[in-house]
Amino acid sequence: MTLVADLRAVLGAEDVLTEPVELYLFSKDASLIRGRPVCVVFPDSVLEVAEVVRIAERHGVPIVARGAGTGLAAGASPTEGGIVVVTTALQEIEIDPDNRTAWVGAGVINLDLTKKASAFGLYFAPDPSSQSACTIGGNVANNSGGPHCLSEGSTTSHVLGMEVVLAGGEIVTLGGEAPDPPGLDLKGLIVGSEGTLGIVTRVLVRLLPSDPDVRTLLMDFPSVETAARTVSDIIAAGLVPAALELMDQRMVETVENWLHAGLPTDAAAVLLAEVVGETEGVTSQAQLIADLAVRNAARSVDIAETEEHRALLWRGRKSAFGSIAQLAPDYYLHDAVVPRTRLVETMKGLYEIAERHDLTMANVFHAGDGNLHPLIAFDASDPVLNEVVHRAGNEIVALCLQVGGALSGEHGIGLEKRDLMRANFSDLDLDAQARLKEVFDPAGVFNPSKVLPEGSRCFDFGGIRRELPEGVWV
Amino acid sequence: MTYPRHIAWLEVEIEGGPESGLSIAPKTTKDFAAALRYATEHGLVVQVWGGGTHSGYGSPPQPDLVMSMERMSQIEVWEPDDLTIVVGAGAPIAAVEAELSQRNQSLVMSERPGPGTIGGAIAAGTSPLRRARLYGVRERVLEVTMITGDGRLIRSGGRVVKNVTGYDLHRLAVGAFGALGVIVSVCVKLWPTPPAAATVVIDDLEMADVIARPLAVLDDNGQKKVYIWGTEREVESLMSRLNGDATPDLDWPEDPEGTWRWSLRVPPALTGAAVSRLPGKWRYLAIHGVGDVRAASATPLGAEDLRSWAESVGGHLVVTKGIPDVFDPWGSLLPPGLDIQRRLIAEFDPRRVINPGRLPGGL
Repeated sequence: MTLVADLRAVLGAEDVLTEPVELYLFSKDASLIRGRPVCVVFPDSVLEVAEVVRIAERHGVPIVARGAGTGLAAGASPTEGGIVVVTTALQEIEIDPDNRTAWVGAGVINLDLTKKASAFGLYFAPDPSSQSACTIGGNVANNSGGPHCLSEGSTTSHVLGMEVVLAGGEIVTLGGEAPDPPGLDLKGLIVGSEGTLGIVTRVLVRLLPSDPDVRTLLMDFPSVETAARTVSDIIAAGLVPAALELMDQRMVETVENWLHAGLPTDAAAVLLAEVVGETEGVTSQAQLIADLAVRNAARSVDIAETEEHRALLWRGRKSAFGSIAQLAPDYYLHDAVVPRTRLVETMKGLYEIAERHDLTMANVFHAGDGNLHPLIAFDASDPVLNEVVHRAGNEIVALCLQVGGALSGEHGIGLEKRDLMRANFSDLDLDAQARLKEVFDPAGVFNPSKVLPEGSRCFDFGGIRRELPEGVWV
Repeated sequence: MTYPRHIAWLEVEIEGGPESGLSIAPKTTKDFAAALRYATEHGLVVQVWGGGTHSGYGSPPQPDLVMSMERMSQIEVWEPDDLTIVVGAGAPIAAVEAELSQRNQSLVMSERPGPGTIGGAIAAGTSPLRRARLYGVRERVLEVTMITGDGRLIRSGGRVVKNVTGYDLHRLAVGAFGALGVIVSVCVKLWPTPPAAATVVIDDLEMADVIARPLAVLDDNGQKKVYIWGTEREVESLMSRLNGDATPDLDWPEDPEGTWRWSLRVPPALTGAAVSRLPGKWRYLAIHGVGDVRAASATPLGAEDLRSWAESVGGHLVVTKGIPDVFDPWGSLLPPGLDIQRRLIAEFDPRRVINPGRLPGGL
């Protein structure tokens, strides 16, 4: 039987799409890289996912798992063809308020989980900007972060267990409610592996008790330096706010022009801070942050005490990406991390890169953890401009690595940054990662060509009798 | 057996260390690589030695070669403003904490580390008492450099607090007891210590519910304590809300000590139930909200029943110290994905020289 016939026999005809327009819809994620799938399937149980994996292996075609397709690194773009497995039919949410956990289907939308958990006074900590659209499965694949991961960590810190379909269609449940399951922590390895090791169908997540109180501060500064220094001072004072978000002048202007929320458009930088906890704690912490900001020449400090006021302050930050449409039809959003102490010099470098290529760049980022999101607004229909934006992107990454940073903070490597992995890792590091991939996926069906650059498996020390080339390990 | 000169010259005496053919303290990653290559070539059993505080986990094999981490204990880079430190895996937690406290920062790896090292806490995957609020040791590890069983130097992760770059081998190394390689250097995410803290003794665990997220709620052999920290005003007001005997600092208990030591791991809501099931004379320290109960006893009597119960609720009873070959250290449940675990280890330690058989499932 053909691939499609095999899939339809298991999933039913309506859950296997093959029409060109349907395939086109699922041919890319939110990145700019498009692939061409053979078909798109919507399994509604782990057993169906396991069947799809077996069928794919039998036909020797790749599988690309996809949640909502909000990924920015082409991790869910089917660039090698094959089957796109959309997880959105996996919709279970089973909350265990006593253990503060929930089993969640991979297709559940991040915000829907938190909404449902709020009935029990609980929430799911990872809150990527796309949380009203992105799925838990996608969060797991990319180890997603968000503003609030400064104090609570990324997705990996909140995944206690998972049900995953491995090579051969084997269904395995890893982890559980009890802490520290003995043996190698395979689930920790699968988080952030971008669908290259297997397909996660259900996730056991940790839920946190909702914060009794919150204070949100919006501070405007005469320079990026003074804003960045305030961030360092806050940490030095022993505080780890729930969020520390920074917007540069270009971003504030763009947002304000669209939102009319009264943002200070003449500020060189706007810092948004949020502290959560007991009322006594947030009141004194907010005051401390305000004092530090004023000491660092902040021109104004706005502290929200009501939910409406807080929502208004956050609206600017959350509208950042949407408001870019005023500048150009498309944008290219970068994601890189630098040590917090190198923020100011990195920002200067970013502006220089934009200027050199005559590009429109705005910055909004997680200042607390040094996670930069330089955004280049442009018209993607112009092939020359595309090339320039791509070149500038590589320079941005090179700059971040040069100051001791990392390739990606929360969007992943996917295909977009795959070939930059060599700038970050030695041949032996990549070889180790490639071996790991082979152990999980010997047939190479799970999202091939992603994460690891071609030729990563360039050393073979596997046989113990083999002599190691002299000095090669250094 | 006689060892070649390039290994033998690293010989040291390890106080309280295991008996072996040779104990060495490599000085550089090159020394480690050379020794591990030699071990792989000759099929030697290697045990890695930090502070010896986790030497009771699993069934430690009789080693031919013991590698002490004592010479890999330097602080390489500490960036207080970045909340990161890069440090040799053999560095004692207590010594590093003493350094970090000068700038009010902490590793948050262990409150009572004894002679324990950073590498040891990571390899054993143990966690601090503050884990309900600040998470386990796994969440502190940002980057790991290790030497594989066959002598390759590999690095995973990065020196920034947030990172999604390739497979997280550094997280896989947590709790792996060296199955992938000897951890030689790590980058740890630090945590700032707020200005004020307090320990409040309460009569009833439910009294702790007046605070959404305390630093820890412990049951120390029946004495219940809530730990809080924050700004001075915050701590003062929380103390009065808790309404118990308060001391103005963090008074951490020691893990219970005995011939046998246990780690009972159950779903968080069953922490109290786990405590009530401990055999009469066992001493214990329970972390509420986590399901982490540390216990000690003179004999393993009653442990079989306790283990059956723990496993029936999805948990485990793990021996962390005992008399070898008397009681199965990990339990009867084989870890899921055992075949993948075995094949993974084979890619890093093909001849299985580092701590062979120490992980569950005979790995």
